[in-house]
Amino acid sequence: MSRLWRHEAHTLAGAYALDAVTGPERARFERHLARCHACALELAELREATARLAGAVAADPPAAVIQRAVAAAARTPQLPPADSGSRTRPRRPWPRRPWPRRPWLAARRRVAWGLAAVFLAAAAASGGVALTAAHHAGADQRSEHAIAQVLNAPDAVLLTSRVKAGGTVTVVMSRRDRALVFTTDGLPPLPSGRCYQLWLMGPAGDRPAALLPPPDHGMTSPVIATGVAEGDWVGLTDGPPGTPGHLRSAPILMLSLAA
Amino acid sequence: MSNAGRRQVPASATAAGAGRASAADLETLICGVARGDQGAFEALCARAGPAVFGVVRAVVRDPSQTEEVCQEVLLEVWCAASRFEPGRGSALSWLTTIAHRRAVDRVRSERRAAERQLRAASHEVAYDEVAETVEARLDGERVRRCLGSLTSLQRESVTLAYYGGYTMREVAVLLSAPEATVKTRMRDGLIRLRDCLGGTR
Repeated sequence: MSRLWRHEAHTLAGAYALDAVTGPERARFERHLARCHACALELAELREATARLAGAVAADPPAAVIQRAVAAAARTPQLPPADSGSRTRPRRPWPRRPWPRRPWLAARRRVAWGLAAVFLAAAAASGGVALTAAHHAGADQRSEHAIAQVLNAPDAVLLTSRVKAGGTVTVVMSRRDRALVFTTDGLPPLPSGRCYQLWLMGPAGDRPAALLPPPDHGMTSPVIATGVAEGDWVGLTDGPPGTPGHLRSAPILMLSLAA
Repeated sequence: MSNAGRRQVPASATAAGAGRASAADLETLICGVARGDQGAFEALCARAGPAVFGVVRAVVRDPSQTEEVCQEVLLEVWCAASRFEPGRGSALSWLTTIAHRRAVDRVRSERRAAERQLRAASHEVAYDEVAETVEARLDGERVRRCLGSLTSLQRESVTLAYYGGYTMREVAVLLSAPEATVKTRMRDGLIRLRDCLGGTR
């Protein structure tokens, strides 16, 4: 890296602290930041100054804004701590509170963007582009885009269900896109030769949708299933992977997608 | 919100939390939020809500979009609380960084969508409005004084970027100054502001 480049990246600290940078500039500075301890210190100090700029225009929000945020938080899962090695153990990433019994009815657009926020914040916190988690799953840019599209769909609904053997699954589905995004937390680890496989099952037949990536702190990165048909259920198997029309083990979970 | 009833926390607990208002409190509340404590989240919203709402409103302007973005920010705080690292800056700066980033992302996508031309008028409004609001608050008074101690190019670079949500390229156009100069003024303007304000609140 040239000295000139380093100098340039360094002088970007002010613009970065003010969010006056474009996406590529932001990414470049963040790469620099990861290696430059002095820059991180300087940025922290500059941000104390920007925080004061924020404090200077403080104004009471309408009570409804807080109420809605608190209500949305009650049904939105939290992220585990960032993966930095220095941590002791991952905190329980999902709230203890049971999800609404009929998530269909409770799920609204807010819920979907709540979850979108989870995924996007996860991506942001891990320092990558949006939906870095999908990268880990080996997904390409197109699937990242598709996942983001489902999460942001105006008709996105959120469903969660417990799995008998342990753990939770979360589904965000958009009828418009005929697609769903699927993620799990706390499923028991499997012996070799067996894996978790996501299925769409219904009048259109049993179609394997995805093999779940290995979990990170118990959570699997989001995977997308497209081509959701009327009357489909979401299924999850934990045996040897099957092929279209051929489940090789009984589903450990069946979740109706009917409204 | 079918479970609103079960979410109730004793009013006294929240009130007591709010009563001990100090800089350390926000950090404590965030730690509570990271453990999934909804009472702590409510208290955090009450404490940090004005700063979050204020910065979002300054950047976004439109009242209904301001509310929307503000909610998104608060929910992101709920989701990402466990990623707050106390050693890397104050809780207030973590919160306002999230708020400002989201507000800026919103106005930029709006601006792109509308393909709005940059107008000199909008930059005057941005600064006037800020100055008025700043005067309204005690803490703001000090910030305003310190802003006044910057050179005008430093001050305008900082306020246009922060309150106007402009990129340094746009700020350079608005101020008819070279981009490299604006970049440098943003940094040394913030350093001067920081020195003027001191580390404490």
